[in-house]
This record gives sequence, C-alpha cells and structure tokens, in this order.
Amino acid sequence: MKISTCRVVLCGHLVCFCIVYSLFSFTNRNFHIGIPKNKTYQTEQFLMRLRKLLLLTGAFILTLAVFIINTISKNVDLGDTLMQYVRSSLVILSFLFIFFYIQIIKRERSRSVVQNIGAVATFAGIFLAVFLIISLLPHKGFEIRQLKLFPLDYLTIFFSSILSLFAGTFAIVTVLFIKDLVLYKRKKTSARNFWILIGCLAIASLSTIMSRPLEETVWSGIFSGLAILMIIVNSFRLSWIAYLPRKEKIYALLYSLLAFFGFLAILVIISIQDAQTQKGIQYYSSPLFTFVQLSSMFGAVYFGMSFVSTLFHLPTAEAFDRKQTEISSLHNLSRLINQVFDLKDLADTATKMVTEVVQASSVWLEIIPTAGAGHKSGLMSSRNISEDVIQHFITTEETSPRTIVLQTKKVLMIDDVEEDKRTKHLPKMKFAGSLLIIPLLSHNNVIGILYATKEISFGFDQDDVDILTGFADQVAIAIENARLIERSLEKERLQRELLLAQEMQKRLLPQTLPKFSTFEMQAVSSPALEVGGDYYDVVQIDKDRVAMVIGDVSGKGVGAAFYMAEVKGIFQSLAKIYCSPKDFLIKANESLVSSIDKRSFISLIYSTIHITTGELVISRGGHCPVLYVSSDHREFIKPIGMGLGITAGKIFEENVEEKKIMMKKGDVCVFYTDGVTESRSSSGDEFGYERLQEVVLAHKDRSAEEIKEAIIQNVWNYTDAEGYHDDLTIFVIKWLGTTSMEQL
Amino acid sequence: MSDFKVNIRERSDSIHVLELKGYLDAHTTPILEDSFQKLLNEKKYRIVVNCKELNYISSAGLGVFMAFIEDVRANAGDIKMSDMSPKVFNIFDLLGFPMLYDIVKTEEEAAGKFSKN
Repeated sequence: MKISTCRVVLCGHLVCFCIVYSLFSFTNRNFHIGIPKNKTYQTEQFLMRLRKLLLLTGAFILTLAVFIINTISKNVDLGDTLMQYVRSSLVILSFLFIFFYIQIIKRERSRSVVQNIGAVATFAGIFLAVFLIISLLPHKGFEIRQLKLFPLDYLTIFFSSILSLFAGTFAIVTVLFIKDLVLYKRKKTSARNFWILIGCLAIASLSTIMSRPLEETVWSGIFSGLAILMIIVNSFRLSWIAYLPRKEKIYALLYSLLAFFGFLAILVIISIQDAQTQKGIQYYSSPLFTFVQLSSMFGAVYFGMSFVSTLFHLPTAEAFDRKQTEISSLHNLSRLINQVFDLKDLADTATKMVTEVVQASSVWLEIIPTAGAGHKSGLMSSRNISEDVIQHFITTEETSPRTIVLQTKKVLMIDDVEEDKRTKHLPKMKFAGSLLIIPLLSHNNVIGILYATKEISFGFDQDDVDILTGFADQVAIAIENARLIERSLEKERLQRELLLAQEMQKRLLPQTLPKFSTFEMQAVSSPALEVGGDYYDVVQIDKDRVAMVIGDVSGKGVGAAFYMAEVKGIFQSLAKIYCSPKDFLIKANESLVSSIDKRSFISLIYSTIHITTGELVISRGGHCPVLYVSSDHREFIKPIGMGLGITAGKIFEENVEEKKIMMKKGDVCVFYTDGVTESRSSSGDEFGYERLQEVVLAHKDRSAEEIKEAIIQNVWNYTDAEGYHDDLTIFVIKWLGTTSMEQL
Repeated sequence: MSDFKVNIRERSDSIHVLELKGYLDAHTTPILEDSFQKLLNEKKYRIVVNCKELNYISSAGLGVFMAFIEDVRANAGDIKMSDMSPKVFNIFDLLGFPMLYDIVKTEEEAAGKFSKN
C-alpha cells in the first residue's frame, strides 16, 4: 500500500474523530446551556438517560456491524484497503461512543481518589478474568499468512469481538481515571504533558490503521516510543498522595499494588507472540491493540510509581494528618466564633477540639472573671475528668501551676506530674502523667486557662504547645466576643429600662398646669440624660391658695429619678396638710432624711400663691434664689434654708424661714434649677445670675410663656453644641391682677 | 474641663490639709472620696479642705463631704473649709452648708479652730 493513501486515510480518521468530538461537545453544551433553568429536574434526567441510551445503542450497532463484516470476510474476500478502512473506522467510532458513555457515568458518580484507584484495579482484574476465560474456552484461533490473521472458525471471531470490547473499554477507563489523578493539582505543564501523551497514544494507535495486524511500522514505532516517554513523564504527577489521610494512604498503597500487578499481567499476556487469544485483539483492530498495549503500560508505570511514592509518604502520613486536623480544627473554631455566643457551648467545643487535636486524655477550661464585669467564672467545661480533681488545681497557692501561669501569662508544660515540685501538692492521679497549661490571653489579660493532660509522662511535645497556643488565641477571641455580645445585650436591656424610666418620669411632672384668671403659670423641664433629677409641681391646696414646688435632686440619672418620685409623693400628700411653706419643708426634710442616701440631698422651693390677693409666700430649702421682677424693683429672693436630706431635726428647723411678697400687676417671679445658671458655654463660662436677670428684664412685659421661651432660648444659644448643661427647669409666674384688686 | 486634683499635706500641727484644684463634679468625686478614705484609714480626723483653686463644685461633690462628716465627727475630728472663691462659696451657702461646716477665709483660721477645741 502506498504511503500517500496511508496519509489520506490517517487524515480522514483524524477529521472523523474531530467531527464526532465537536458534535459531542456541542450537544453537551446545548444540554447544559440550552435548557432553561426553570425546566424540571426530571426533564434533565430524562435527556441524560436518552443520551446514554443512544451512545450505548450506537456502540452496540457499530460493534455488531464490525462483527458482521468480520464474519463475512472469513469466507469472502472483501478487498484490502477500502474494507479495512471502513472496518477500522467503525471500530474507532464504536469506542468513541463507549468513551463518551464512560465519561458521563464517571461524571455522575464522583468518587474519591482511592475509590478511583480501586475501580481501576477492579477493571484490570475483570479484564484479566475475561481474558483467561476466553483463552480457556475452545476455539481454533488464527492462521498467520503474510503478517495477516485469518480466523479458523466463527467462534474465534465472536471471542475476538468480546475480548476487544473489554480490552478497549478497559483501556479507556484506565486513561480516564489516571487523567483525574495526574491532573489532581492542575498546573500549566501537567495539563500540557498529559494532552501530549494522549496525542502520542492516539497517533501511535492510528498510525497502525492501514498496516497488517502483525506488521511493525516506523511511524507507530516512533510514536509509541514518544508515548512511552510521556508515560514516564506523567507518572511523576502524584500530588494526590500527599493530601490523603493516613488510613486512605494505606488503601491507596494496596490498590496501587493490585493495579500495578494487574496492568503488568495484562501487558505481559497481550504481548506474548505465539498466544492465540491476544491475537483476537490484533485481528479485531490494530489501533485498538496498540492503544490497549500502551495504556496498560501507562497503568503499570503509573501505579508502580504511585505504590512506591505512597510507601515513602507513609511515615509522614501521621504528621500530615495531624496538621490537617489542626488546620480544620482551627478553621472550625474560627467559624464557631461567629456562631456560638454562649460561653458554655463555646467552652465545650473548645475542650472537645483540644482532645481531638492533641489526643489528650483529659481537657478542661477555666474562665477567669474580669474585675467588676460580673461574668460567669470558674470551670466552664471539662472532658474525662471530675470536678473534684479539677478543684485541686484551682488554688491560689503561690507555687501551684495555675498561679504560675496567671503570673507569667505563658504556657506551662509539666513533663512528669508525679515528680515535678510544682504539682507535688496534687493528689496522685493515675490519668495524668504530663500536664500542659495554656493561658487564654486577651489584651494581655488572662481571661481563661486551658488544661490538657496525657496519661504518660513526657506526653506533650513542642508541636502540641504550638498548636494549643494558636488554639488558645482563637478561644480567647471567641470568649471575648461572647462577652462583648453579652455586654451589649445587657446594655440594650438597660437602655430599654432607661427609656421606660424616662416615660415614667415624664408622667411625674404635671401634664398641664391649672389656669387662673389672676396669674399665669408656665413651666418647662429638660433632663440632661434620659432621666433627670429636676422636679416641679403645682397643687391647689384650698379654694384661695395654690402651692407650687420646684426641686433638684443631687446627682443625675435613675437614682435621682427615684428621689424625685419620692418628693412628688411627699409634696402631693403634705402640701394640703402643711400649708405654711416653712412647716412643709420641715416635714418634708423629716421624711427625706431617713430614707435618702447620706451623700444625696434635695434642694427645694415651696411657695404658696393666694389666688385673689396675690400674696406669695416662699420658703427655700437650699435651692437657687427666686428671681423677682416688678416694675420698679428686681431682686433674687433668698430666704434662709438648707437642702433637704443634709441634716436632721433641729439645725434644719432653726435655719428655715418664709418670705412674703404681695404681687402687683405685671410682676414676674421666676423659679429655676441650677441647670439654668450653671449652664456653661464652650469656653467654660457659666450662664450665671446676671444673664438670667437681663433676659427676664428684657421680656418682663411679655406673657409668662414668652418669658419662659426667652430664658430657655438664651440658655440654649449660650451653651451651643459643645457646651454643657445639667437638668434644667424653669417655672414662671406672672401676676395679672384681679378685678377685685383693681376695684380696691 | 473636668480636670481635678487633690493634694494631701500635713501641717506641723498634725492637721491634714486637702488642697482641691479644678472642677469637682460627678466624674471627679471619686478622686476626693479616695483622698478622704485614705485619711480616715490612717485615722486622721482633723481635716482642713483648702478650696483656693477649686473652680466649681457640683451637688455630687457636696455629697462627698456629707458622706464623710459623720465618721469624722464621731471620731472627735472635723472637716473645715477655707479659701473659697465667692462663686464656690455661693454654692455651699445656697444649700446651707455654713450651718453645718466651719467655712472660713484662710487655712490658718481653720486650723486655729481645731486648736481651740
């Protein structure tokens, strides 16, 4: 046969292969992209099944066709070139179908690396078995004429087909599975080298397409050589071994050995020159025979290499496993930090992980409470150890390991618990030969201590220390996190309560002030914090008189608010009984002094206003003086008087007086708390009495409401954004006069 | 703004002087409390508080004196105050502190009141 024809045929094959492959890829892509996502899963499943069915049927029909051609050609000479070309094409196409079929199956059932090796070894075994069975079955075999094979009976042709089918499938499986192993860790060169190998395999196989079965051609020799070279190159791609856990490595070792011997056996038996059975494959298709031969060689070399390599990896497997556990534990732990906010859960997980990572016989975690924070403290979690034993460790003795760790803030390793003087105080413990104590540090404070023990002495090594130190850091962060969340929840709760207190306090102040025809009353109160200590109230004590009170509880916040509530109670109950302001203050002081904290006090002004006469009686209990402005006169009225709750009995009674003023039409009386006069500007100066007086003077002819607004506006303007103000209350009375008074 | 300092000084007549400086408000009262507590722990009950450089005192600051005066007086001692600026005195005065405490012009005068007793 001419070389040119050979080339044409070869090219024809390549083109054929390309067309089928691209068709396959195309339908494949259609399959994935073409189907809209809303199509049901069942449709997808159905299409996949249909494809598999089509591929299998195709392969079957083609194999059947080849079988028929073979049967016919036993008796009838169908010509040399054309028939051989057609036959070879059919064979290659049938195996292409099988190839795609296996690829789909493989994609559907993804297995682990070791399972894959096991599968390959099993396939090798199956193929060997088939091979042996067929060689044992009676058939006449082949006659060799001019390097060509002529089957002697139909059974031989049938067996040849069956064997070839198994051989081809097996070779495809081998290449596909090894591909996964070689490309386990993909690099640019690894993928390239593998595809070069596949290319060499394909060309070496296809180059024999036009030659007689037993003929050796130069091209096939060259490409087979190249393929073998690439097989060796690719056989060094064994990175998957390193990532296997120790147990799986042992399996991998076993399977590799099995696969290696399987492939070696296959390689030997199909290469025996005078055996009849292997000629069945050669007869069926020369390219197939070359392909099977080369892929068996690939399998043998690759699994031989993987066996040796796995063997060398075994000693380090344990260390590798440990690192892996360590990494995954640390990973789990850091994930945990974001999920577990309960300290107890956290501690349990941490001790469990420590037990796993360093194979400790017992582990426990103690939380050290931070001062004043009110955290849960003490033992949080323990494994394989009773609390009684742990209590021996939680001691404040100066030489105890716990104290040492608390002081040094460093890891403490005790190699021999029984002999070491630092642990001599402990009762004999069978379970603890060696002890490792690790402080959990947060901002250089020990927030917890992690203990781990092993039964044997010298049980911990530097590696354990390193791992657990890293571990402890993570746990410390987790604990700190959990505490922060606890704290912020607490804060939120307090905030809610404070809002409630604010709401309650607002209700303590009068919602509306009573209205009278003879005078105007206006009041405003603004706490500096959510709740304040300022108070004012008005009550009509009899048909002629109205009592008003303004007060300021020392301090601010919730405490002050409580006292304010108490003052309201006192005012509401005593005002109608003790109409004289002086008597009222004495009685109020009596009740307050016994109930109030000794460093707190309340400043108060109590005054009564006669609705018709305009007589104003003022008693002052340590409160800011009252600003009184009339048309021709202005003064700060400051009757003698002490703050309530400062001192009991006599001293208070002796130092309280009443002042009486007859209000005239247009007179303005301003009560206020020190929040007004002590408001400070950003430069630190106080608003003071002078400014207050000026503002009131400037507005004295306006209504009580306008005067009140003017004062508060001026204070706001004065303090501006950076300034400071206390609780602030203003109460303005403006006497309008009565008709009866005018008549008089 | 809320700078506050206390300096404890012992006079030759074994009277202890607390020199206050700055703003005494709710934030800074613990400093004064600690100083008083220290003197009381050492059983020093003759105390003069020199307010020469005290710029401001809030109700919480006044509360500190009230908290300790009982203890001090129960031990035959006293807290006397001196050198107040008019503004600070006004705050003490409004609440009637002069009725309970000796508030005098100078430290010498305050110390003198002890020796008379």
